[in-house]
Amino acid sequence: MNAIVVKNLTKKYGTNIAVDNLSFQVKKGKVFGLLGANGAGKSSTIECILGTKKMDAGEVSILEMNPIKERTQVFERVGFQFQESKYQELVKVEELCEMTASVYKEPQSYEDLLTAFGIADKKKEYVKELSGGERQRLFIVLALIPNPELVFLDELTTGLDARARRDVWSILEKLKKQGLSILLTSHYMDEIKALCDEILILKKGKMVFHGTVEEAKSESGKKYFEDAYLWYTDEEDSHENI
Amino acid sequence: MKTFRILLKNELKMSLRGMDMLIFAVIMPIIVLIILGVVFGQKPAFEGAEYSFLDQSFGALCSIAICAGGVMGLPLVISDYRSRQILKRYQVTPIKPSLVLMVEVVMYVIYAVISLFSLFFVATCFFGFKMRGSFGLFLLGYLLVMISMFSIGMMVGGIAKNSKIAGVIASALYFPMLVFSGATLPYEVMPVSMQKIVNVLPLTQGIKILKNATLGLPTDNVTGAVIFMLLIGVICSIIAVKFFRWE
Repeated sequence: MNAIVVKNLTKKYGTNIAVDNLSFQVKKGKVFGLLGANGAGKSSTIECILGTKKMDAGEVSILEMNPIKERTQVFERVGFQFQESKYQELVKVEELCEMTASVYKEPQSYEDLLTAFGIADKKKEYVKELSGGERQRLFIVLALIPNPELVFLDELTTGLDARARRDVWSILEKLKKQGLSILLTSHYMDEIKALCDEILILKKGKMVFHGTVEEAKSESGKKYFEDAYLWYTDEEDSHENI
Repeated sequence: MKTFRILLKNELKMSLRGMDMLIFAVIMPIIVLIILGVVFGQKPAFEGAEYSFLDQSFGALCSIAICAGGVMGLPLVISDYRSRQILKRYQVTPIKPSLVLMVEVVMYVIYAVISLFSLFFVATCFFGFKMRGSFGLFLLGYLLVMISMFSIGMMVGGIAKNSKIAGVIASALYFPMLVFSGATLPYEVMPVSMQKIVNVLPLTQGIKILKNATLGLPTDNVTGAVIFMLLIGVICSIIAVKFFRWE
């Protein structure tokens, strides 16, 4: 069963094609990594899947439902973390959690999540006064509050230190074992290697690779995944120059 | 319903933390009431009038909180939530983002009602205020003024490009209405030529309705004002709904 199915997704901004005829599936219980340089179309793809941006062509289903027509049922079971998560100026951690939990029928205990992510002692603090890493962890907590079957994590661990990243990874591994499907974007290749079952590399809105990390390495003839990633995403002319 | 209650509770908490609505919608009307009460006391509104100056001003004072919430509070919070993409966040949850707008509206209704009760209490207990008309009619007028002022706020918040522009428009509407519509500076003390000019302000008409109801004067005095307020409400609501930007 697929958690997400994307068929021939195209998104244009004026004459600029942000996502070009993209098709892929995210299998249930798997971690899917969407990679590419800034501006390659990752966020546009995610927004079109979620329905917050209107696609120009294509079809999308989430958990075998239409995310626009059946949004209530879909978003009851989907968590998300936006790249720049937004929150009210004067909101405190606990209030943001409580409000997020209130929109779902069967949310998880945010207290437990805050504890698991090591920020339970920050409950009474203003969100804006958290450190970058604490805030990032809070936003992952918010994504998990609905007790989702699928989460979207946009730039998962940006701003986290090495220890915190490992902690987040291990929590995600655990959730994955329980059947959670994850679509993530990240700029950290070690993270992709550690977490993703399948990856898709975008370049200027087009798919340039789809498969596993190992396949990316063998197909590109590179020993390290980071080199393979760069090989796929670098401009053609820079290949020629080398 | 549970969602609505929790969102409202937390939005109220945040709003109280910000203090500005508490000051502009609840404390300020009381201060103006006390000043008018002390200065004019029980004096009749004009020579030979059956009602006091304060009786005449009560409706105007009640409108201060409506004006603060509707024309200042609502546009600022809506444009702020849009630019922070909070409305967008709610688009990917089971609830509709419009519920968040409802929460904000109800919050400003609460401020206005608190102001109404506190004004009524202080005016009655300390300054001999008497509601001369029917309470029902007054509340009906109050509701009408609220709907039309809030619809102005929804329109400004809904269509302003960003919070900066919303702030400028809100100030351009709020401060003139606060000072010149008779909400703080009594309409009756203005020269006639000035009264003619300020008649175009929606709140001036709203205050006429409230004043008329408080004093129990014949309702056909304010037919024009009622139509004016209804029109404002309908037009602004239509524009707000039609052109509302979620992001």
